[in-house]
Amino acid sequence: MNQKELNLILDDVKSFPSMPAAALKLLALLKDDDASSGQIEQVLRYEPGLTANILKLTNSAYFGLPTRVGSIRQAILLLGWKKLIQIVLTSCVSAIIDKPVQGYDLPAGDLWRHSIAVSVATETLIKLLKLSVPDEVFTAALLHDVGKMVLGRYVEAEILHMDEEAMQGLSFEQVERSMFGIDHAEIGAKILRRWSFPTAMINIVRWHHEPDNAPKPDVAIDVVHTADVLCLMAGIGMGREGLQYQPSEMASKRLGLTQKHIEIVASQMLQWANELAASVQSTT
Amino acid sequence: MNHVVLVGDMKTGCKGDMIVTHALGSCLGLMVYDPGARVGGLLHAMLPLSKINPQKAEENPYMFVDTGVPDLFTSLYDLGAQKSRMVVKAAGCGQPLGNSEMFKIGERNYTVLKKLLWKNNVLLEAEDVGGTASRTVYFDLSTGQVVISSKGAKKEL
Repeated sequence: MNQKELNLILDDVKSFPSMPAAALKLLALLKDDDASSGQIEQVLRYEPGLTANILKLTNSAYFGLPTRVGSIRQAILLLGWKKLIQIVLTSCVSAIIDKPVQGYDLPAGDLWRHSIAVSVATETLIKLLKLSVPDEVFTAALLHDVGKMVLGRYVEAEILHMDEEAMQGLSFEQVERSMFGIDHAEIGAKILRRWSFPTAMINIVRWHHEPDNAPKPDVAIDVVHTADVLCLMAGIGMGREGLQYQPSEMASKRLGLTQKHIEIVASQMLQWANELAASVQSTT
Repeated sequence: MNHVVLVGDMKTGCKGDMIVTHALGSCLGLMVYDPGARVGGLLHAMLPLSKINPQKAEENPYMFVDTGVPDLFTSLYDLGAQKSRMVVKAAGCGQPLGNSEMFKIGERNYTVLKKLLWKNNVLLEAEDVGGTASRTVYFDLSTGQVVISSKGAKKEL
């Protein structure tokens, strides 16, 4: 690694696009059990583009609503306000990560599809394993790889070195660290910190490849970690580095995960992820 | 014509067609070709056994190796292929790093495939399986040629 390159990477983190102000306000509301639908409507009043996307997502096959939803108020009534906030955040994230990622060789839309699939697999695992985790986990799942968008062009320049045999047994985030002194997970965490996102979310992004190194064990990290490995195995948003990541056996233990759970989730997530990704794509 | 096979999908075709499937991780990519009839098909199956989700298998047999493989062969017989001429090649079935048994879906996909072929007296002509690589398969139905692309390099299978 060289310090000059690391400084360039950190500069890129600073100039990374910001999250819409509405997203941050809604994230704060997600924590507030007394939040009202009026407050949500107020935040969205000046965001017509966002509102249009929200309604498209809400009407997607994924949610299977019996009637067509035409207003934010109606969407809150049918889905609940927590779900609606997640939809808003999903829409905000899509605008940021629905782009090609060089280095990892992800064509436009692939990182987005991967993110949606990890979020869906996270939700499926939580239900199946009856886990109790904060609602922010879904948004963190959507953003777990955002650091790849910064690191991609540096990976592109060094990829042949990163392919060398000595690197093959290492998990790819370790390869990144040995080349650049930083990996895409840490970069992602820095981006979320700049956005003033909650610490719990930053930790999920930071430790999604190495949950055992988190400051303390956290099932929210474990579950996103597992969902990520599963989606890569299914080839959804799998990049040039392929499956060069290591699932944590400790995380599986903490979750009480079995082979059967993994296969059930894999069999369910594909269709839902496709439906959700398609409904957002049509808006961009 | 070009066909793209997504995860949990299968396509067949004939002379003049090219079938492509992208990003095989732990999924199985199975290419079957009859050089006599010049027809072939490609299956991209995700999981070994349909008993994990029978309802899903009913909707989409191509998600599973045990339901997808027989379906691929039957579809080719319908196009005039003969079992004695079939050339069968496999790709994918990769694993993440480490030794966690639970995450060895790729290995289980491969085992179920081998059992199915063995039971039916079908030989696997060539394979590029295992490891952490992401593989993309190009299957040319004019010649039966299978090309695997991984990490920017291409090779014939």
